[in-house]
Amino acid sequence: MPDIVLDKVSKSFTKQTHAVEDLSLVIPDGSFTTLLGPSGCGKTTTLRMIAGLEQPTSGEIIIGDSVVFSGKTGAFVAPAKRDLGLVFQSYALWPHFTVAENITFGLEINSVGKKEINKRLDEIASALRLDSLLERYTSELSGGQQQRVAIARVLIMEPSVLLLDEPLSNLDATLRMEMRAELKRLHRETGATIIYVTHDQLEALTMSSHIALLESGELQQFSAPLEIYERPANRFAADFVGSPRINFIDATLDQDSLSWGDVTIPLPKSAKENVGPRVSLGLRAEELGLSRTCGPGMVEGRVLTVLPTGADWFYQVRVADEVLTIRHNGETPFDYEDIVYVEIRSKSLKIFDDAGKAVQ
Amino acid sequence: MSLALNRWRFYVTPERVLSVCFIVLLAYLVVVPLFMMIQETFIVHPLERFQIPGSKVNDFTLAHWYRFFISESAYTFFYRPLVNTLIISFGLSFLALLIGGALAWLVVRTDMPLKETISNWAVVPYILPSWTLALAWISLFKNDRIGGEKGIVSALTGFEPPDWFAYGLFPITITLALHYFPFAFLLIGGALRNIDAQLEESASLVGAGRLAIIRRITIPLIVPSIMAAFLLSFARGLGTFGTPAFLGGPVREFVLSTSLYGNLIGQRPGLGYLAALVMIVIGMLVLYMDHRMVGARKSFVTVAGKGARLGLIELGRWRWALAGFILFFLFSVIVVPLVALAIDTVMMIPGVYSWENLTLHYWIGEASYSIGLGTGEAGILKNPQILSALKNTFSLAFVVAVVTCLMGILVGYAIVKRRGTLISKCLDQISFLPYLIPSIALGATLLAMFAVPRGPIPSLHGSFLLLVIVCSISALPYAVKAGISAMRQVGGELEEAALMAGAGWWTRMRKIIVPIQKSTYFAGMLLPFISVTRELSLVILLVTPTTQLATTISLLFTDRGWYPYTNGIVFILTVVVVGCTVLSRRVMGTSLAKGLGG
Repeated sequence: MPDIVLDKVSKSFTKQTHAVEDLSLVIPDGSFTTLLGPSGCGKTTTLRMIAGLEQPTSGEIIIGDSVVFSGKTGAFVAPAKRDLGLVFQSYALWPHFTVAENITFGLEINSVGKKEINKRLDEIASALRLDSLLERYTSELSGGQQQRVAIARVLIMEPSVLLLDEPLSNLDATLRMEMRAELKRLHRETGATIIYVTHDQLEALTMSSHIALLESGELQQFSAPLEIYERPANRFAADFVGSPRINFIDATLDQDSLSWGDVTIPLPKSAKENVGPRVSLGLRAEELGLSRTCGPGMVEGRVLTVLPTGADWFYQVRVADEVLTIRHNGETPFDYEDIVYVEIRSKSLKIFDDAGKAVQ
Repeated sequence: MSLALNRWRFYVTPERVLSVCFIVLLAYLVVVPLFMMIQETFIVHPLERFQIPGSKVNDFTLAHWYRFFISESAYTFFYRPLVNTLIISFGLSFLALLIGGALAWLVVRTDMPLKETISNWAVVPYILPSWTLALAWISLFKNDRIGGEKGIVSALTGFEPPDWFAYGLFPITITLALHYFPFAFLLIGGALRNIDAQLEESASLVGAGRLAIIRRITIPLIVPSIMAAFLLSFARGLGTFGTPAFLGGPVREFVLSTSLYGNLIGQRPGLGYLAALVMIVIGMLVLYMDHRMVGARKSFVTVAGKGARLGLIELGRWRWALAGFILFFLFSVIVVPLVALAIDTVMMIPGVYSWENLTLHYWIGEASYSIGLGTGEAGILKNPQILSALKNTFSLAFVVAVVTCLMGILVGYAIVKRRGTLISKCLDQISFLPYLIPSIALGATLLAMFAVPRGPIPSLHGSFLLLVIVCSISALPYAVKAGISAMRQVGGELEEAALMAGAGWWTRMRKIIVPIQKSTYFAGMLLPFISVTRELSLVILLVTPTTQLATTISLLFTDRGWYPYTNGIVFILTVVVVGCTVLSRRVMGTSLAKGLGG
């Protein structure tokens, strides 16, 4: 039912700078869409504009059938009338209310009957395991419990869109893993559209059905998580998504081959005329292979650092002037200062032109 | 080195030693005097021998308690002043909350123009001596009840203000509220500013309207600060002496503080101390009520939300009108009174407002029994008595500022370092105690303690030291509060890092703790300096002719009806105090709000 459409939405707080610029996006109904980007990229501002807490400077926002904001006609629908719920980063629980009061405040304001309120409170409390905490004040709760109260407070209103602003950033690592699973389950159970803001690319990859990657207020890429990972639209997308960070090496692009130092890689199809010759090649840690013996298409390097993670070994290897991070799960680990040979194993090459745009 | 010595060294840390020293010192200067004063209400004083037949000095007696609470004169001594005090204190606190709260809300939450100017001006009434407004009120609205001359209003319009308007409870409540509303403005403004905007946004998201948000979310969130502001104005109003003395005296309306003064200065010290005791009890009761109402569970600190821009409420076309009205209000409670005071100092014959009557006689004239009021006193700037009082005032203010600042640093340090321990809690409580004691009553306890030699300690009555002690104690709670929050900001790790680097305690204090907190301390010194400069209630019982202060000497002149002198002295104090505030703002960027804490 409600696709959320952002059409050329811009927002500036001062005259000189744009927080969000010309953002166009169609968030499909029932999706788990993540607004991802570094801090200050405009993701929270975008979320707040969808919520109606912030008015865009120009553009149009449509939720389902109704235009909730339009710079042209001046239409504006109040936040409370947009049928959405927002969980704040700080949770924004009211400290002078008990847990139960926090959860039921919205129903009470909307003059829902006492019986109905209690019924829904019981349901939501048991769903989120808050039964035993209802009489507490929020300062007496742990971080994870506060988070669940914040979610319960929004869910009890049964919104069709759920907005989450970095909800996990205040939790410790273990709890964060647990809550990720819980949020995914929540998404399945409620069927609501979720718009999720985070700067944590791993969180975005693991949880979303769609990712909108933003930088400096501009949309960089909008697609499925794996799509971004495998076919980043530009250098920024390649760099921001994926851990450890992608390796970039300077390379030279010819008509039908790519050369890096002594290595020349043939291209499956010819590159466009107007690109190159200088490009950069993006190589993820798992797209590089290591071996002790030299073979064709391999370059020599020296191991700088060994970083075991348990399942895998990561190596930093110096090749010519570059330092590459390489994943390797062979049986015999390498050691510091070992001489190794590096091989490119990628299925599809990620090549970026001078301006950082991906080259097909 | 022996094991025992090693142990001893580990145990005797600077903060432990400091804590113990301060607890002993403060117990001696705050708690013991309280008990001494209670004891004084049960014994016969030299002057009371003849009122209590057959008694000797220092005999045990219940006569004071009987006279004060039960006898026929109890109404005059106690009940009437008590009722007056309660009416005034409650009235002024409500009024101050109303004015200060509304101002704070307008400044913080709306798009009213000229906010900065308004915020700066709104604290000035508190910087002025509390009885400036009382004097100005008299200058403006004086009627013929207190002698021939007319007030400015009556002289200009011919309208004679009625007694209830010119003197007594009504003007006392109004002028005190106008003096104390900056408390509410600062405290409520701070709380409003700190509210996480998301708390209100999340209410608006579920459909709460603007009024519902204010009523259900905003106000409950700032209740602790509202209560704190109420408590502060109530306690200060309770212990204030100047205003009720000036405005209540002419119609013989007494409050507890003036009754206390009258009894102590007169021949009934027992009754005076009882009045002081009652004031302290009232102060504590109000605090207890505050505790009960706010409660521990709901006592939360409002933490600022990240990046939460507060949406300003648009006032539309009212914004300039409102700003204008507020500026006019501030102008009338700051500039108008000062001008009124100034005018009265340059009128040869008081009450005659004409150009021929202009004179600088009261500023630079020679002593004369025939010119003007014929006081036989030289003009303010030539009068040795007044000049020496001014000198006393400023030396006292300076010494107290330094002493309280040092105590604030050290006590704050000791409390934070030993946080959670019994000794830290004890020190925290005891340094907060003076906050609860109305200032004139605090003076009374120290009078009870030090008026006579006790053991090895000689009588301190009439000494500069006693004034330093009483002013320092009274400023201590603020200083300690500032010290604690400064220490918390620094955090233990910065000091521990220096400790690991091998710095001794003295070096750590000198090189790490103090430099980092410099500006906080400076703000911490400004507040005591200002309050001592304009302090009257606290010292009125303790000054003697040799230690006369500017404020107390102006009271003397008022008693004789020599208003030009009083007004001139108050004018000088005002200029100095406002000057200091502005200067420190310019130079150090400190503001009074910082010193008050919150």
